Amino acid sequence: MRIRRGFVLAAAVLTSALVVVGCARDTGTTQPAGGGGTNAGACARNSAPPAPAGGAASAAPAQPNADASGLKVGVAFDIGGRGDASFNDAAGAGLDRAISQLGLAKANTKELTAGPNESEDAAATRLRQLVSDGYNPIIAVGFKYATALKTVATESPNTKFAIVDDSSVDLPNVTPLVFAEEQGSFLVGVAAALKTQTCKIGFVGGVEQPLIQKFQAGYVQGAKAVAPNIQVDVDYLTPAGDFTGFSDPAKGQVVATGQLDSGADVIYHAAGASGQGVFQAVKAAGKSAIGVDSDQYNIPGLADVKDVIITSMLKRVDVAVFDYLNAAAAGNLSTLPKTFDLKVDGVGYATSGGKVDDIAAQLDAYKAAIISGAIKVGTAPTS
Amino acid sequence: MSAAPQSDPRRPRIPTWVRVVSVVAAGVVILSVTATLTGQYQLTSRGTTQAAVLLLLPILFAGLGGLWSERAGVINIGLEGMMILGTWGAAWAGYQWGPWAAVLGGIVLGALGGLLHAVATVTFNVNHIVSGVAITLLGMGVTKYLSTLLFEPISQNPRQSPRVEAFNTFSVQPVADSLASVESQQRVLLSDVAGLLGGLLSGLTPLVIIGFALVPISYLVLWRTRFGLRLRSCGENPVAAESLGVKVVTYKYVGVVISGALAGLGGAALTLNPGQLGYLEGQTGGRGYIGLAAMIFGNWRPGGLLAGSALFGYVDGVQLRAGGEAVHGLLYGATILAVGLAVVWVARRRWRAALIAAVAGAVVYGVYYSIDTVPREFAAYAPQLVTLLVLAVASQRLRPPAAIGLEYRRGEGD
Repeated sequence: MRIRRGFVLAAAVLTSALVVVGCARDTGTTQPAGGGGTNAGACARNSAPPAPAGGAASAAPAQPNADASGLKVGVAFDIGGRGDASFNDAAGAGLDRAISQLGLAKANTKELTAGPNESEDAAATRLRQLVSDGYNPIIAVGFKYATALKTVATESPNTKFAIVDDSSVDLPNVTPLVFAEEQGSFLVGVAAALKTQTCKIGFVGGVEQPLIQKFQAGYVQGAKAVAPNIQVDVDYLTPAGDFTGFSDPAKGQVVATGQLDSGADVIYHAAGASGQGVFQAVKAAGKSAIGVDSDQYNIPGLADVKDVIITSMLKRVDVAVFDYLNAAAAGNLSTLPKTFDLKVDGVGYATSGGKVDDIAAQLDAYKAAIISGAIKVGTAPTS
Repeated sequence: MSAAPQSDPRRPRIPTWVRVVSVVAAGVVILSVTATLTGQYQLTSRGTTQAAVLLLLPILFAGLGGLWSERAGVINIGLEGMMILGTWGAAWAGYQWGPWAAVLGGIVLGALGGLLHAVATVTFNVNHIVSGVAITLLGMGVTKYLSTLLFEPISQNPRQSPRVEAFNTFSVQPVADSLASVESQQRVLLSDVAGLLGGLLSGLTPLVIIGFALVPISYLVLWRTRFGLRLRSCGENPVAAESLGVKVVTYKYVGVVISGALAGLGGAALTLNPGQLGYLEGQTGGRGYIGLAAMIFGNWRPGGLLAGSALFGYVDGVQLRAGGEAVHGLLYGATILAVGLAVVWVARRRWRAALIAAVAGAVVYGVYYSIDTVPREFAAYAPQLVTLLVLAVASQRLRPPAAIGLEYRRGEGD
């Protein structure tokens, strides 16, 4: 009895399934992987802005080198320290340049490095140690030091501090070294929009937080400035507070593959080490990628994917650290720019590999327009 | 896979394979209907399935590792640490001798972590949680030290290994291609099945095969052999097992070392992931713990933990590939599921369960109706939320091994 009922049921299910299977969806064949949702034919591109009159685009004059031989410089690195091929290394390079060009004695410098997932207390202890050893100025690399720095800088008002990537500490003896990432991102957005064949590009952010949203905002604005109807796929690997998004290439690969499958052909990542996954996905698909922070075309670890990296958004932490030490040696911190932007070469784009040489004129025109103020780049995503 | 021995004696017991097949079929139908009605075709696309397989693999290995250890009565919260050791071992062996060496390297280093855990918990009766946490911390520290020592001279980066050659991917041809052509026709149900199946049959690596094969193998070894019965008896009642002549300590050692080896294999899977250049500090990102959660979700059984890790992998894949809109579409699917369950339970006259399911369905549909997209903050944690929900509903029926985490000394039953 039961068995017969089972047969009836199975027959009913199969019949209805066959009926349903017969129907095609309205969207027809355009949907799945590859080429879906692109509008290659309609990718109108604006011409580059005219060069501003009077040659206002020239960079601000550099300060003359001061004598730093009397300084004792302490540097507190972020997680990873020297050798991370990213911004700690860049800060280290700035310090090295100060040693070789400003007469800073290597013996008078001290470098300490943060551990992963350490407490605020450990960061504060590290800064206090530098203070009590008589280091002045002290450079904290990374916004993670903000809270600790606020405490320590209040305790030691006679020591000068600088903090990279954070402007939340408002004390007279703390100099924020912040960058106009959105301006550099604008330029690589321009490059992406000029290079895309499908009129669809992608952005992969590591962690969805205001700092990374600056990259996104500039990139999208730059792309739309060139091609108003371009589509930009924006994805983040993890939400705010979950920093694994900066060290998870597996997720980077999945997200980038998703963007490539939906038709994007240039992908910009601001995802730290997760960017490896983005590069691998892009290489597998034979498309183009844009690196971040340093000139990723020349990073040894990325040598086998470098042929897909058309350019990188440069964030010159080394310039900021050097300029800060130079200003500190001269005893006049007021000469430092409020933000390290395109004008002072604090951000920019890389030309290694020669993949953007053909559009260099347009990129430079946009760069000049940003420097002259003709184009204002927003720091928060608009949508 | 869940055997429900307490089921109603008046009903003839439905064979397990029929239940598994019907659950899978119901899932596919729900996904298909959802994809069709919400227009979120990414839910059943080949790319999503591939992403899900890639993401579930390390979790599956970690979960299997947890299974072997916990069935022998040892809580293994050190899976994360063994996995980290595995990523390092895989990268170290892999960059010198290729992908198969990487697999072996991951297994060996993971097994060493397991051995340490066994020495601490079985021989010295250290609290299992304490030892597990210590091994996780140790794994992080040791790999950091070793990679600074051995990787930095080559990769110029103490946090990263040189490039490890990955496995070539392959597809089951000609099935994969014909499935792809069916998928592109976008026929209701047929294309969804083709997409889901196509993802499982293309872009494969040997590790995927090993991972899926280890699920039935674990089941057969643990439940269908004398060795497995003895190992499980150590997790249920070691004193009774000992009185029957089982060498409890040996079995526990074997269980925990295999557990570490499987976790290490999970680490190797992560290192050999197609998107990866090799070892990277912090790349496990808590996947060992998620594997443990998947195992608990699966009621300490291989099939169940496969379902748990598939759930994590799939929801994570959908979320990463297609974003909040697709997870929003999944809410629609959850509504269908809840209504379906309510109908089933009404038919079985389980009024309370039916009422709860109906209310839950209504709530989920309300959420679906009132928002356009699931905020990214929620979408990223969708797998965790789903697991929490399932555990909350199903925890009454979960049954861990009876003597898990308990101290055992040889001869204490005398």
